[in-house]
Amino acid sequence: MRRSYIVLISLISVIFVLAYLTTYMGILGPISSDTRYLAKLFLALTYNPDTSTSLRYLTAMSPEAVTAIVWDYRGIDTFYETTVFFMAIVSALTIYRGITNIESKTQGSGLSIIVRVVTKLLIPMNIAIAVSIAVHGHLTPGGGFQAGAALAVISVLLAVVFSGYSFGKLGMGISKAVALRSMGLLGIATVTLLPLIYGIVAGVQTYLMQNYMKVDSPFTFPIYAWGQLISGTLIWLNLAEFLAVSFGFFVIFMLLSLREETVKKYLGVGDGH
Amino acid sequence: MRKYVPVAILIFVVYIVFSGSLSPYDIVIGSLIAIAGSILASKYLIKDESKALSIRRFFNLVSYAFYYLTVAEFKAHWTVIRIILSKDMPVKPAIVRVPYKASNSYTIVASANSITNTPGTVVVDIEPQRSLYYVHWIYAVGLDPETTYKEILEPFERRLSKVFE
Repeated sequence: MRRSYIVLISLISVIFVLAYLTTYMGILGPISSDTRYLAKLFLALTYNPDTSTSLRYLTAMSPEAVTAIVWDYRGIDTFYETTVFFMAIVSALTIYRGITNIESKTQGSGLSIIVRVVTKLLIPMNIAIAVSIAVHGHLTPGGGFQAGAALAVISVLLAVVFSGYSFGKLGMGISKAVALRSMGLLGIATVTLLPLIYGIVAGVQTYLMQNYMKVDSPFTFPIYAWGQLISGTLIWLNLAEFLAVSFGFFVIFMLLSLREETVKKYLGVGDGH
Repeated sequence: MRKYVPVAILIFVVYIVFSGSLSPYDIVIGSLIAIAGSILASKYLIKDESKALSIRRFFNLVSYAFYYLTVAEFKAHWTVIRIILSKDMPVKPAIVRVPYKASNSYTIVASANSITNTPGTVVVDIEPQRSLYYVHWIYAVGLDPETTYKEILEPFERRLSKVFE
């Protein structure tokens, strides 16, 4: 009892000291009241439909600065991030090699009917929200990875609320999820290489992952479709990443929801009962 | 064909509300995802589409929502407020069996959530084989099935049956 009072008092005093130091002593340094120069630069350039100045060569044509940076200004970096995630899933598939579909010999009963019915209703809403995050990635905060993570929640819900075997019942095997994920990766590769193919065919200089025209390259992805801003490569990269990430997570969660005995039997290790 | 309409409407409305936009872009993508999602999900959600598309049942649902959010919630809150404010704290807590008569899973779940969401009563478990809720009740006026049904479940189940049964 005495011990907990000492802990409580010391916690409260640490909070007070930190609050006092940061508020009145200014130990974090002065807070700038102005936007930083770099931030101003990005805000001015990411969406710049003004074609009269040479600044147009620096724009990504997306009002969402984060997506513009992630998929245009440092697009190759994001490409490698996606590759790292891809390699992680490949490693998981290697460990669980040979398991392509989850058999549903026994059916788990899952949680109570209350949880199951509410979850059944939530899943279509989840799909709607994930797609909305993906297709607005170039307009509002969000994007392919966030949308993919939102969609992958469905696989966790299915495994926990219904049963780890419900994937097989729904016709969503591991091989199908891997195929859909690979389609997403192919989409990213296609968008990356399209400017190059265009460059070879048309005989002009282009760059990998090029989105908007550069000083020495006239190539531009369609920025508008029927009057709607689609920001060139950004919408396609977001959609492809959405597919790759969501089904990548699906594969992982499906594998993790398998019973240890099943896995060991497949792999031929241990007694596996 | 009609079977796919209710889920498509649900997905479309959620998409539009979440996106917060009625631009042609969102209407087109919202419709596409509504069609695709409905084809995938309808068979798990809809057994009888004539019920889901019935205008009368929809108005019953709206009137239930109105009853629930005003009358039922007010009554339940008033009871609990009286308990909190009285000086001798008159509680008589018990977990009671409440038999339900509904057979449709949506009625069962909506009734259970209505009970849980009003203060003073919480559905702690359900036994579908015997059609029983186990409800924690802050002031159990009686333990026999007739009393618990009448006091806890009847106002919700009677109205919800007009929506889902």
